[in-house]
Amino acid sequence: MLIFLLAAAVLAGTLLRQVPPSILANPASYAQWLENARGAYGPFLTDVFEALLLFDVFHSIWFRLLLGLLTVNILVSSIDRWKGIWTAAFGTRTRMGDAFFEHTRFNAVLTPALPVSTTAERITGALSDTRYRVQTQVDADAVAIYADRNRLSGFGSFLSHVSLVLILAGATVESLWGFSDPQFIVSEGATSELGLGTDISVSLEHFVDEYYLEGPPRDFRSEVVIYDKGVPVKEGTIRVNSPMSYDGIRLHQSFFGQTAVMKVTDTAGQTLFSEPVPLAGRTKDEGRPLGSFNIPEQGLAVNVIGPTSGLTDPLVPAGEMRVEVYAENGDRLVAVQNLSQGAPQEMEELSFTFQREGRFTGLKVVKNPGINIIWIASILMLLGLVMLFYFPHRRLWALCKPGPDGTTEVRLGMTAQRDVSLSREFDRLSDRVAGELGTARESGDSGGGAKDV
Amino acid sequence: MYELSQYAFVASFAALGLALFLYLANLVGARSVQLIGAANGGSISTSTALGAVDSAGRYATIATINALVFLSASLIFRTIDSGRGPISNMYEFSLAFAWGAVIICLYFEVAYRLRALALLVLPVALGMLAYSTTIPSEIRPLVPALQNDLLLTVHVSVAVLAYGAFAVAFGGAVLYLFQRHDTVRWLPRAAVLDEISYRAVLIGFPLMAMTLILGAVWAHIAWGSYWTWDPKETAALVTWLIYGGYLHARVLREWRGAGAAGLLIVGFGATMFTLWGNYFLGGLHSYA
Repeated sequence: MLIFLLAAAVLAGTLLRQVPPSILANPASYAQWLENARGAYGPFLTDVFEALLLFDVFHSIWFRLLLGLLTVNILVSSIDRWKGIWTAAFGTRTRMGDAFFEHTRFNAVLTPALPVSTTAERITGALSDTRYRVQTQVDADAVAIYADRNRLSGFGSFLSHVSLVLILAGATVESLWGFSDPQFIVSEGATSELGLGTDISVSLEHFVDEYYLEGPPRDFRSEVVIYDKGVPVKEGTIRVNSPMSYDGIRLHQSFFGQTAVMKVTDTAGQTLFSEPVPLAGRTKDEGRPLGSFNIPEQGLAVNVIGPTSGLTDPLVPAGEMRVEVYAENGDRLVAVQNLSQGAPQEMEELSFTFQREGRFTGLKVVKNPGINIIWIASILMLLGLVMLFYFPHRRLWALCKPGPDGTTEVRLGMTAQRDVSLSREFDRLSDRVAGELGTARESGDSGGGAKDV
Repeated sequence: MYELSQYAFVASFAALGLALFLYLANLVGARSVQLIGAANGGSISTSTALGAVDSAGRYATIATINALVFLSASLIFRTIDSGRGPISNMYEFSLAFAWGAVIICLYFEVAYRLRALALLVLPVALGMLAYSTTIPSEIRPLVPALQNDLLLTVHVSVAVLAYGAFAVAFGGAVLYLFQRHDTVRWLPRAAVLDEISYRAVLIGFPLMAMTLILGAVWAHIAWGSYWTWDPKETAALVTWLIYGGYLHARVLREWRGAGAAGLLIVGFGATMFTLWGNYFLGGLHSYA
């Protein structure tokens, strides 16, 4: 039941639009987002969905509650089943009562014209040949034989269930002690501080993007140097399928773009700003590449706008940058100019120069101390499922009692374990035993009856 | 090589179509022979006719094996031409899915001496081949996100086999619904169909888990996060949960019957949704 509820929750999270975290952080854009949702789902449904937290299923209280319930459920039922699994693997009785052979789902009776001891020996031999582990118990009235195979299989169920709890534990460790910055930008020739409580900074030597003749991208790579407390500690190339890691922190290639190397000097010729400005944003109107920087001494904020790529842009011709200067901490636009490369322009009594274009790389920075728990859990999950489903536990009992005229009455029985269908296996084993004893199965019931397909 | 691959594709398409026709002939034949047999009280001519019907069934199996060989050849030629696993876009995946469905169907046909299953699984495979003709087949180079030969090959081929197993479970479930009360004489018994579906899920479920895990490993490397609730991975998780729910109900509560068969049909719907979901939901799996 719980599993279907969980499936339904995950389905809702797939089918309904989900609010991106960046929008959720900002109430104004969230309101705007909800307005759009009203357009798509209608006002009533939108309110219902919002009240049920269905627009952010995977972070909602009730989804976590559901996962918590699942954890408790798995742990309780695993403990509950432990004893049964253990007994099935190690504590099985060699001799079963007569009632077992009559009532078990798969049973057969053989009456070979052999003495009991010979019969028991032959049965043991036949079963050992089929890679079964055989135990014999000689009683006064009968010889009991128990044979089994893959007896650890039941622990697979335990492993795969516990692995689910481990995965949730790994995710919890990640959310408590991990961090991530999906948009860490470094410009060519510049160094960016990683922040997030580390002393790490990263500089970008080059970013390269290559394309196939047909057009699709072939390679994106960033050649970087990592510094710890200002000391270079690692350098190398980051590609989409080969991230770089340092001290448990991983840097992944995520996106890239254009920079404008800007220089600002005052009338005395003193440099106030000289850095590449990553144009990582987009203008609201035409979606032109947009970057910004501040000149704190003058209380100015500057926007740098690049040309729309691939088109002739009437506002920002190719090779130029449009510069908007805002005063009062970005509230009032005081000057706008298009700058040609290398030609200084006077704005607000400062000299602005667009020196050249460059590239920036966008890296995803991740520290996830829970990841090894996740991988261990994954291995346990697979191991458990393979043990449980591909190597099921098979158990066969035989009881040999003296019959009339020097014959032996052999009763064979297999339990119909709930997680495997045994009919064909039972047929195979009992035919083999019968062949070894030179007799045929007299009666028998192979339950499911896959025999006569 | 590309041309050889295309020829092999056409051959496999034809062989699969022929196989389906022969399975149908086998079925219709068995049915009419049984009707005649019932009317005559079982005369000699019935058994001769049964022999003919039986050989139609045998040829059907042979045609299916041929289809599998041609399909494998098509995928192998493509691999030689492109120098990588033939499973990096929707066209290649459709072929591979058909391949997975046919091979697992054949396994059950041989293991259970059961031909009726193909009647539902082969149309799924044929459907995938027909669908593949509607999308561009040319070999395109890999975008950076897919440039991981080992993971691409293993992640996707495991997925193909899982989907194939679920297709077989679906076939068994649909036949089960027709045969619920063992009223259709030319179909296998309901209990057998139920068991085949169950067996197919037993094969598919761990494979689907492996697909999800390998996907998580790859996402961890290429996207920096082992799980991102990307639509395709979420849909795959839903599919896995549905089959997980089926297994729990079946193993712990002995749940069988029409409800269980219905759930397997829903599960296959989820599988198909996982296959195509990224087309209308977007997300990071946009290339496949």
